[in-house]
Amino acid sequence: MAVSLSYREKTLYASLGAELVVYGPYFFLHQQNSLNKVAGMIIAIIVLQILLQGLIAVMSRNRLTDERDRLIELRRYRAGYLTLATLMVVGLALLWAHAAAGRLPIENRRMGLHLLSVFFGMLVISDITKTVTQIVSYRRAL
Amino acid sequence: MPAIRNQIRELRALREMTQQELADRVGVTRQTIIAMEQDKYSPSLETAFKVALTLGVPLERCFQYEPRGKR
Repeated sequence: MAVSLSYREKTLYASLGAELVVYGPYFFLHQQNSLNKVAGMIIAIIVLQILLQGLIAVMSRNRLTDERDRLIELRRYRAGYLTLATLMVVGLALLWAHAAAGRLPIENRRMGLHLLSVFFGMLVISDITKTVTQIVSYRRAL
Repeated sequence: MPAIRNQIRELRALREMTQQELADRVGVTRQTIIAMEQDKYSPSLETAFKVALTLGVPLERCFQYEPRGKR
């Protein structure tokens, strides 16, 4: 069965690809995190997204979005919010538990970078969840 | 499956209209027409009226409400 992708779906697959290409190496290859790497990654994802979305927009004749696209967009944000809220609650609970046990040397610079990485990771996971939810919704028709 | 069923595919075939033509005239994407024809998506009331109007039939000829559990 031939797969027909709408303009929105094509942009979603491009977004997912960009997220995996940029975030993947950061979380799975680099053990030494730094502010520069985080900033570099944010710039990289923005540039890559602009390039890919621009390319798809140029190649697509029909860039129409309709009520179904907007409904799926709402579902995407709900999934992303629930994921981020859940991760934040779990993360804060773990922080509190470590602090209560006296194992949280927050004045330590490495610990600060580690926390930055953890919270950034939460944002990344919720972002990827949003994109995957939207792709699944499109594939299931809604 | 939604409780709203439709005869879009049959009515469209009678008029020899493609999915893309119907989509263009209604103002939705072809994928939305496909989803409606497969009973996977229930359109808004406005879109339902537009589809019926485009196909030249009354709304109830195009869309039917079947309460869940009664099929």
